[in-house]
Amino acid sequence: MKRFADINIGDTLGPSEQFVSKDNCRAFARAGGIEAPRFTDDEGARKEGLPGMILPGNMSLGLLSKLVTDWIGAEGGARLIRMSTTYRVPVQPDHKLTLHGFVTHSTPAERTAEIDVWIENEDAERLVTGTATVQFDS
Amino acid sequence: MSTTLDLHSHSDASEDSRAPVEAYLNWIRLRRSERPLDGIVLTEHRQYNRDADYRALEDKFGVMVLRASEVETNYGHVLVYGVNDDILSRFDFANIRLDAQTLIDEVERMGGVAVPCHPGRPNIGLYEHYAAKPPLENLIAVEVLNGGSRKGEDERSAELVARFGYHAVGGSDSHLVSLIGLCATRFAAEIRSIDDLVRELKTGIYEPVDFRPRRKAVAHAVAEETR
Repeated sequence: MKRFADINIGDTLGPSEQFVSKDNCRAFARAGGIEAPRFTDDEGARKEGLPGMILPGNMSLGLLSKLVTDWIGAEGGARLIRMSTTYRVPVQPDHKLTLHGFVTHSTPAERTAEIDVWIENEDAERLVTGTATVQFDS
Repeated sequence: MSTTLDLHSHSDASEDSRAPVEAYLNWIRLRRSERPLDGIVLTEHRQYNRDADYRALEDKFGVMVLRASEVETNYGHVLVYGVNDDILSRFDFANIRLDAQTLIDEVERMGGVAVPCHPGRPNIGLYEHYAAKPPLENLIAVEVLNGGSRKGEDERSAELVARFGYHAVGGSDSHLVSLIGLCATRFAAEIRSIDDLVRELKTGIYEPVDFRPRRKAVAHAVAEETR
């Protein structure tokens, strides 16, 4: 179980390599009722000026959230209470993505830790960046 | 004695950053072997906080904190060092359509220095603007290494340096704590104040330094249409 006393500034989350296929992307868009062409079809995305299909922002948010909740672990003891993200570059499916995270600072009075998170592509370009707050039970 | 400064960073005073200054300084202290910085320059977007006082944090972490600003012009984003009352009276930093040539000339006349940042970046960088407009005059330096650059952006910035003879600086453009100091500028001289920094930026005796980790190449995925 994760405990506040066990975390250190500089602790790493990941890196976690992910491969999101176009089918994964379409399935997410359909499940979320956001079947805009840019999320489901390369040609439709190009008509919108994009290089091809892109992941919905919520899908990137979900990947980064999972990076944090995997770090917390199944035994719990802490919860993700806030996540904010900046979408710098569209995330394209059928590319290897690498998710990174670092514990950067903490607030003992609230038993919270702040974590930097981001998604990189194969060229180490940061596509989506964000911060997460995790609160610990003890 | 040389001085290494990250000339471009954003704290939580900027609307798109959640990085407290204290967390930046603690991170620098912890990562000094990888990113040997003497200090950082906070370049908040479209603002300058003349009342901010970081002396207690400087003493606590042994890292210098200087203040500047990142403003928006008709030639892209520009870092303004040596901001003073005259400059703040002359320019509305919240105006996103400042005239770059006027800014460069007037900031210089009023004792500061203006340095275009991420010039190789589409839309907000000098490189693209130079394709459609005449080059700026009286420009001393541009930011050639930016910690947030995508592939090719720093190379386009370096082209400007080669073509126009600008001096080159580096900065992380960090909006996250863990990205502070990825790029910086090493000055030959000792710098202990914003006045020292402005003086040294005008000398040209400095170089951009890159502390970004060298990653092993990641194989590109083979795109396969599975629909």
